[in-house]
Amino acid sequence: MDWSQYILIGFVFASIFFVAAAMALHWAHKNGQLSNLDQGAQTIFDDDEPMGEVTDQFPKKRKKRAPRDN
Amino acid sequence: MSSNPSIIDSLKPSGDPDVDLRVRLGEVDASMRVPAMLFLVSAVMWLLAGTAFAMIAAIKATNPDFLGATEWLTFGRVRTAHLNAMIFGWGNNVIFAVAPWIMGRLCRARIRHTNILLAAGVFWNIAVTIGIIGILKGDMIGVEWLEMPAYVTPLVVLTYALVGVWVIIAFRWRQSDHVYVSQWYLLAAFFWLPWLYTVAQVMLIFEPANGVVQSLTNWWFAHNVLGLWLTPIALAVAYYLIPKVLGRPIHSYYLSVVGFWALALFYNWAGVHHLIGGPVPAWVISAGTVASVMMVIPVIVTGINHHLTVVGLHKEGWASPTIRFVVFGAINYTVVSLIGSTMALRHVNEVTHFTHFTVGHAHHGVYAFFTMIMFGAVYYMMPRLLFREWPNAFLIKVHWWMCGLGILLMVFALQIGGWFQGLQMNALTEDGTPVYTFLQTVENTKPWLWARSLSGLMLLIGHVAFAINVYWMIFSPRTQDKVTQPTLLTETTEQA
Repeated sequence: MDWSQYILIGFVFASIFFVAAAMALHWAHKNGQLSNLDQGAQTIFDDDEPMGEVTDQFPKKRKKRAPRDN
Repeated sequence: MSSNPSIIDSLKPSGDPDVDLRVRLGEVDASMRVPAMLFLVSAVMWLLAGTAFAMIAAIKATNPDFLGATEWLTFGRVRTAHLNAMIFGWGNNVIFAVAPWIMGRLCRARIRHTNILLAAGVFWNIAVTIGIIGILKGDMIGVEWLEMPAYVTPLVVLTYALVGVWVIIAFRWRQSDHVYVSQWYLLAAFFWLPWLYTVAQVMLIFEPANGVVQSLTNWWFAHNVLGLWLTPIALAVAYYLIPKVLGRPIHSYYLSVVGFWALALFYNWAGVHHLIGGPVPAWVISAGTVASVMMVIPVIVTGINHHLTVVGLHKEGWASPTIRFVVFGAINYTVVSLIGSTMALRHVNEVTHFTHFTVGHAHHGVYAFFTMIMFGAVYYMMPRLLFREWPNAFLIKVHWWMCGLGILLMVFALQIGGWFQGLQMNALTEDGTPVYTFLQTVENTKPWLWARSLSGLMLLIGHVAFAINVYWMIFSPRTQDKVTQPTLLTETTEQA
């Protein structure tokens, strides 16, 4: 194969890649994923792991505090 | 829909994904326990093996006779074994442990078909083991990042397919309305990697392209493994864990979405900057340089987001092992990417090409950014999956300081040393003859290479501390205190 054929194949692959990404973007828009973004940012929190609460510490500190909690 | 659907049920297009199957996070964690542990135990073993290979290779750089008489351990093989053990043994295993867990948590649905993941875990580790032995034995393929012999390809493809199917099922049956930015990154990564791998296998091994096209394909693949696989996964983790641990939403969610789509649409071109100065059509290089510099946009966007989310909460962050590691990784993402974009400029590349600068850059990206973030993810994930506390805070601190300082030393040593090496290789006298002989330039890198070996030793200590903590946590009999803090773990219930 010569250069032009490789470029053609490469171009086809790159286009498939780009079109797939563009279609995903289109779906996201149609599905309303791109609106109401502030609310979206908060979806990772819930009643079990609420906003405003730090959820990770070094283990030792936690042990020290444990007796007080009991 | 029963709580244990068959794979056919899960894949059936007529299935109703709107059935309310929303579960609590603790339940998602519990369902992920077994596969995550399989992947994690193997990941840590590969991390140790990869570090051992790295030490051998590093010492050989200053003392070429070291183990020089053993053909299995010659530099070319052991360095390649190190790369593959780290990327495919450590990197992919830890990804397969962490990424489905985060995906499951964000999808808010019970993890279905963990047996798919278990099968993938077994196949994957067999593949990497055979691959590394093949490399040491002398069967390696001379294509960077694809060195594992062709006879492991079917197993690799099978694993990627299994994990890919699993992710698609998880996403399809999600119970959350909003697709969080981490989910986008994860989905994209699991879509991109099999695609990159297939194209590379076909164009490089089964029906090899000729000449320059081969190296173009090689670097398109190798750089995209970094940019479209390791990077999106690590960013997904950072976008999930930084706000999660600190209890504060991402600074600008809008920017995070912009960052994702910029990466998705344009990153693909950047890899050819590895061939600057090579016999490649100039326009291809220019396109690669433009794409590399364009990556500044998603990098700055991501940087603003990660860093401004932490601002004001430094004390809380410092008290959390997860945040220490993840934020270290996030800072280094910004720095390494900006350095990378600069290195893609022709005049800078003239100096850095063929020097240790590039090696330093690779470790900066894969270790200081990707690996450190994955360490952070493991620190957050394990207590939730096992309902246990990390056994020893001191070991976490050893891990953090040794790896944090170790990798900084390595990056500084290799990049400063590499820069001088490049200047010396290019230096010409007025009549156009080289100022330094090639051997002199090599000799002059020695102090920097010793510093690299020292940094390797620090990383080794850090990794051993990490491994002890992980195995201690998983395998010790259940005598430790169970976790009591309400913020750490939530009880599992059958009802949402």
